[in-house]
Amino acid sequence: MAAPVSTVGKPSTERSPFNTTSFQKKTRTKLISIPGTRPSVQNGQLLVSTGVTSLDYLLGGGLAVGTVLLIEEDRYDSYSRMILKYFLAEGVVCRHELFVAAAQDNPDDILQVGEEVPYFPRLSCEPQDSLDAMKIAWRYQNLPKVQSALASSSRFGHYYDVSKTMEPEIRQAAKCHCFYLPEHPTQSSPTHSTMLESYSALLKSLQEVINREGFDVAAPMTKSRNILRIGLHSLGSALWGDDLSCHDNPRNGHALTTFLYGLRALLRSSLSVAVVTVPSHLIQVSITRLCDNAIALESFKGSERETNPLYKDYHGLLHVRQVPHLNCLASKLPDHKDLAFKLKRKQFTIERLHLPPDLSETVSRVSRGELAGAATVASACGSGSSGKKHLDF
Amino acid sequence: MLTELLQGTDAGGFLIIQDSASYSGRHLLKSFINAALNREEAVHVLGFEVSEEELKDGLKGSPVQRLHFHNAYTDPLGWTDQPSFTVHQFCLEELTRLVKQTSHPKPATLVIDSLSWILRHVSAPAVCKTLQQLRKGGAVRAIMGLLHVDMHQRGTVGSLCHLATSVITVAPGMKGDEAVAKITKRSKSGKVVQDEEIFSIKTDLTVVVQSKPSQLGHKQADPEEQETDPTANLTFNLRLSNTEREAKEKLALPFVFSKEKKTALLHSSPGSGRILYEPDANDDYDQEDPDDDLDV
Repeated sequence: MAAPVSTVGKPSTERSPFNTTSFQKKTRTKLISIPGTRPSVQNGQLLVSTGVTSLDYLLGGGLAVGTVLLIEEDRYDSYSRMILKYFLAEGVVCRHELFVAAAQDNPDDILQVGEEVPYFPRLSCEPQDSLDAMKIAWRYQNLPKVQSALASSSRFGHYYDVSKTMEPEIRQAAKCHCFYLPEHPTQSSPTHSTMLESYSALLKSLQEVINREGFDVAAPMTKSRNILRIGLHSLGSALWGDDLSCHDNPRNGHALTTFLYGLRALLRSSLSVAVVTVPSHLIQVSITRLCDNAIALESFKGSERETNPLYKDYHGLLHVRQVPHLNCLASKLPDHKDLAFKLKRKQFTIERLHLPPDLSETVSRVSRGELAGAATVASACGSGSSGKKHLDF
Repeated sequence: MLTELLQGTDAGGFLIIQDSASYSGRHLLKSFINAALNREEAVHVLGFEVSEEELKDGLKGSPVQRLHFHNAYTDPLGWTDQPSFTVHQFCLEELTRLVKQTSHPKPATLVIDSLSWILRHVSAPAVCKTLQQLRKGGAVRAIMGLLHVDMHQRGTVGSLCHLATSVITVAPGMKGDEAVAKITKRSKSGKVVQDEEIFSIKTDLTVVVQSKPSQLGHKQADPEEQETDPTANLTFNLRLSNTEREAKEKLALPFVFSKEKKTALLHSSPGSGRILYEPDANDDYDQEDPDDDLDV
C-alpha cells in the first residue's frame, strides 16, 4: 500500500527523569512533514501536487505518494510533455529530488521547465451592477453563473509561466538524476527475462537511486525525508527498443507491462511518485489497469474537431481512464466526465465541457451539421442539396 | 507550405513522404533532391527500389555531380561476393563512414529510397534508433525518406512519423497530373502546423502548387445564405416608426413589477414568506351580489 502517514513517525516512549508521576502522556504519532506534501482529506494518504491544480482536483486532491500516474499522450506529444514539465517544475519548487528518463530527447531538454509565478485567481462571482438588469427573468439575477472551472477550496500547488524558463540557479538547486538511454551503457544480461534490456536498466537505475538516497520507507530515519519525483517520457515507443508500438503482435508484448509492475512494486515501498507518458495511440494493448491513475489527452490539433465551434476555446479533451483504489474498496469518481483542457500562458486549466444554450436557429443548425460530419447527404425525399439544411421535418 | 519545405529543411530535420499504391511519391522525392542539389548541397541517396539511371532521369546539369548514389538496388541482401551496399549496413557507423567518404564542406543530405524496403528486413525499433542517432549526430544535415503506407502496419508507420519533423502524405488529385499533399510540420518549439495543397510536378522537376482543396467546399455554402427576405413584400406593415417604438417601450406590461418590488423580492427570498399585496381593480368584488360583473 502507499506509504501511510503513521508508520514513518516513531512514538517516543522514554520517560523524562524529572517527571514525578508515572503518568505518561500518550503522544500521537508524529505526522511527517515533508515540504510540498499534505495529507489527503479523504483517506489520510500523503499527497503531492502534480503541478497543475485542476489535475490535482481531478485526482482527488493530488497524487498519492507511492503511486504512478499514466498519461496517454496526444498525437504530437505536446501537452503530455507539458504536464511532465509541470510535474518536474513543482518538484523543483518544493525542493524534492527529481529523476528523469527519456530515450528520444535529452533529459536536460525536458528539465527546461516554466518559471513559477504567483497567481491571483479571479473572483468567480461578478458584481451585480455589471450585469444588465434582466427584464423578464429578473428572479434569476442573483444566481451564480455556471461554474465550469474545477477548483478546490484550499490552494495546493503552484502556477507556472511556460513562456519563460526557470532560472538555472533555481533548477540546479534541486538534485536531479538523469537517465538518457542512448548514453547509458548497455549491459546485455544473459537472463531470459520478459523485460527488455532498456527497461531493466532503467529499473535497476531507479532502485539504485532509491536505496542510495534513502527514499526507502524501511530505511532508518537519519536525516529529514524527501520525496523523489520520477518522470519517464514516452515509454513503449520504438526508441526504447520496444516493438509494442510498431507491430500488432509484438515479440516483446510483456516487456512494458512487466516494467510497470516492477515500477509499482518499487514505488510502494518508497517515498516516491512517478509520472509516465506513453504513446497510446500507437499501442494496441491497454495498460491503464497497471497504473494507479491514468488520464488520456486528446488534442484537437489535426483532427476534424478543430473547426467545431463547440471546442473553440479549448485545446483538447481530457479523459480520466483510471482512478486510484488505495487501501479502499471504492474510490471517488470524478463528477464530470466531459472534460476539456486549455493551455494558457500562465495556467493549464481543465474545465467541464458544457454546451452553451442554442440562442439562434442558424447556430444550432450549423453545429448539428458539423457534429454529424456530413458534407452533402443524398436523401430520397430532398429535392436538392441546397435547401436541405433549412428543412426540418 | 510545400514550397517552404522545398526550400530547405532545418538542420536535424527528418522528412517523410508517405505514398500509397494509387500515387507514387517518388516524383516528389526527386523534386526534393533537385531542390537540394540546386542549393549546392551534397546529396547521398540509398537506392533500394529503383536503379541509378531511373533515379537520375530528369536531373540534369552540373549539380548532378553532387549526387552520390549508393547502389543497393542490384544486391541489397549481400548474396553476391561484392555487394556495394546492403541493407545490413543501415546502421550509424556504416552510414557515417559512407557520408564522410565524399569530402564536402557542407554536411550532406541523406535520402532514403525507400524506408519501406529497409523495414522489411530490419526491425522497426532498430530503424528508429538509427534514424534518431543520425539526426542527433553531426554527419548528416537532413534526412528524407519515402515510406509506402500500405506496406506496413499502422503502428510502424505511426512510430516512424512520430520521429519525423515533417510528414507529407500524397494522394491522387481530381485532374490528371495533379496530386493532393497533406503536410504536417512540427517545429522545435513543439508547435504543429498542418496544411493541404494541390500540386503538380513539371518535367524539369519543379513543383507547382495550386490552390488548396478545402476552400472549394466552403464556398458553395455561402451563396445559400443570401435568401430572400420573407418580410419584404407583405400587404401589412411590420415595421415600427420611431414614435411607435417609444410608445411600445413605455407601455407597462401587466406582470412587470416596479424596481422596488423586484429588489424587495430578490433580497428577501431566503426563508421569509411574505405576501405582498397590491390592490387591483378587479379585487373589488362585492360578496352580496355575485352577478355584479354581468354586463346586462
